[in-house]
Amino acid sequence: MWPLYTYHHLLTFLLTFFSYVLLHASRKTFSNVKVSISAQWTPSALQQNGTAFTLSPTETWEGNALFADMGEATLFLGALDSIFLFSYAVGLYVSGVIGDRFNLRYVLSFGLCGSAITEFVFGTLTEWLHFYNVYLYCVLWVINGLLQSTVWPCVVAIMGNWFGKSGRGFVFGLWSACASVGNILGAFLASSVLKYGYEYAFLVTSVVQFAGGVVVFFGLLTSPKEIGLNDYFETGLRPVTRDSDSQRPLMSDEEDELTDEYSSIQQQDEEPQPQPQPRAIGFFQAFCLPGVLPYSLAYACLKLVNYSFFFWLPFYLSKNFGWKEVEADRLSVWYDVGGIIGGTVQGLISDLLGKRAPVLAISLLLAMGSLVGYSHSPNNQLVNGALLATTGFLIGGPSNMISSAISADLGRQEALHNSQQALATVTGIVDGTGSIGAAGGQYLVSLIESKLGWMCVFYFFIIMTGCSVLFIIPLLFREIQSLCRDRQARTLQL
Amino acid sequence: MTANVTVSSMYLFTVLLLLFNVYVNSQDTDAQLCQMCEGTIRHDSPVWSFCITKGYVKGHCCFKNNTSDVDTIIGLDLSNCSISHVEHLYNSSTALIIDLSNNPISNLSDYVFQGFSQLTQLLLPSKLECPGGRASWEKVEVKSITRICEGQKNACNQTVQMPLVCPENSLCSPYGPGFFECSCLNNFHGYKCMRQGEFPLVKVLGILTASTVVVSSVLWFTQRRKVKNT
Repeated sequence: MWPLYTYHHLLTFLLTFFSYVLLHASRKTFSNVKVSISAQWTPSALQQNGTAFTLSPTETWEGNALFADMGEATLFLGALDSIFLFSYAVGLYVSGVIGDRFNLRYVLSFGLCGSAITEFVFGTLTEWLHFYNVYLYCVLWVINGLLQSTVWPCVVAIMGNWFGKSGRGFVFGLWSACASVGNILGAFLASSVLKYGYEYAFLVTSVVQFAGGVVVFFGLLTSPKEIGLNDYFETGLRPVTRDSDSQRPLMSDEEDELTDEYSSIQQQDEEPQPQPQPRAIGFFQAFCLPGVLPYSLAYACLKLVNYSFFFWLPFYLSKNFGWKEVEADRLSVWYDVGGIIGGTVQGLISDLLGKRAPVLAISLLLAMGSLVGYSHSPNNQLVNGALLATTGFLIGGPSNMISSAISADLGRQEALHNSQQALATVTGIVDGTGSIGAAGGQYLVSLIESKLGWMCVFYFFIIMTGCSVLFIIPLLFREIQSLCRDRQARTLQL
Repeated sequence: MTANVTVSSMYLFTVLLLLFNVYVNSQDTDAQLCQMCEGTIRHDSPVWSFCITKGYVKGHCCFKNNTSDVDTIIGLDLSNCSISHVEHLYNSSTALIIDLSNNPISNLSDYVFQGFSQLTQLLLPSKLECPGGRASWEKVEVKSITRICEGQKNACNQTVQMPLVCPENSLCSPYGPGFFECSCLNNFHGYKCMRQGEFPLVKVLGILTASTVVVSSVLWFTQRRKVKNT
């Protein structure tokens, strides 16, 4: 049942894993240095008895006045977050299409290095030059969102090339821990250099990310085909899979798209068997592939809930239960832990079952129950942590699975007949739709919270989870039908 | 509110003057301050008796002895100089004693003496108040037409006037009569004293570059070298 993996598989796993870890680490860095940045942008307001005092020496205390006070700076930082999420979502649609047309390795390296340079300019260079400008920050963050969006479709496509459908659920479940690992690494990096100034937090994460891009450029193999690994007889590796066609890579990496003449000349020279070069799929064509639209919509609802937990959980915990910020931060890690375990375990189950939709549906139905449970959590950190891990298991797990394993399934489905490159495009569409949902959700959550209170936020989460189940139902019926057919066929054979 | 505005505008004015100060070399200071009017320090001025023991006289200024290259003004006698208004006192903020008596000065801003943290004796025309008010001085007495402000109080310890709490990582220190400044604690520096220590830039970049080169070449040899160009 399990395909045999080489050390190339391991290195691919690690390289793509750490590419996304570094990316997410720099995102986390930005959210962790927000306090320092807003302090840097504002004059110090020493308010006593209703009157403001100016502090001497002025260069130290009143020198920068990009914003009048911390409140305005916080608003601007929130706006930067929204700008980033929006340009990231738009970028995902575009960069998936680009990824399928160019060499994945080049696109991935370019995305990593380019976004590293943008972050360096944003955080370090402007501080060194003492040049603070609202418009510059906005433009840089739009560029950063676009560049960062190239990474996810590329790494999923590369992983999809290397890991066949049979073991994909488990491997991808393990692999999608990269976002959470990135959060932990980013928090660690930021906290360890923040005392030298926030610009060094940006410097360290961007330099490390740039280094990651260089390593990817020199070390990554985008598909087993590059080293002739899909030739099972040559290597002696013959994966015993039910659908061995999914083991064959869809993405070729011979820059055929870039140099059409070159490859046509080469084909004439070699006189090979007339193997058609896979052509990249069109954007709307990819949208219409079976399963892409339902999963995109389901993921939009699910990522909304998932990201709301990511952004709002520490705030909720410290507001609702009065716990310290450090405690709330520490406790919120359990949601991530639950998500990692959930993604891996559910991926494994779906591998054994051969179907993914039923696992998702059951997990999401249970998740609605666990959300009700979590909203009634007692003021006890142990109970709350356990409920949080369960909710993470049931929501984060399916979320990880859709964004990675299922995206890879969809991009290499039978409907494509192995004739088109669709992996990155489909991943971009699924994740892009999800990101739009997440971006809209950030606004809705703050709106609902301020108007109706936290309980309604949880009802909103439950409704959204229910919606994602609804979107999956058509696929669920089809998969259950085929599952029954398989079983009947097997009984008939016996 | 209006008081606030005036205070802040005056403050800004002082800042500009202080900045201007930086570019004025000691020669100009000598010319503008020490040669403000004819003659030299009067022998009956308290600045004279102070300067005999502590330094040397040059024009109307008293400079500190045995300072190698920087001229530090420790005393200033501008009495009987027909000064009608004082905008700033250039870089005499190191002065311990200043005599402005016997001048037709109508009013005197507190901000003139901002940064004069060493000042222990100030002689003014009697109609002028001591800068920073009575509360900023140990002793204030009026002798005929001269007001003598003696013994500057530390503004940081005056909790009555305003409770002075400097922001994080900074410490309150006196900054002239009625003034205080928040200076960064040891090791802290930069805007709002938020930065601590120096980032080991060369070391970090060196280690990162070296490890990138090593990892890249190892991966190239194990991975990309095997790429078949078909």
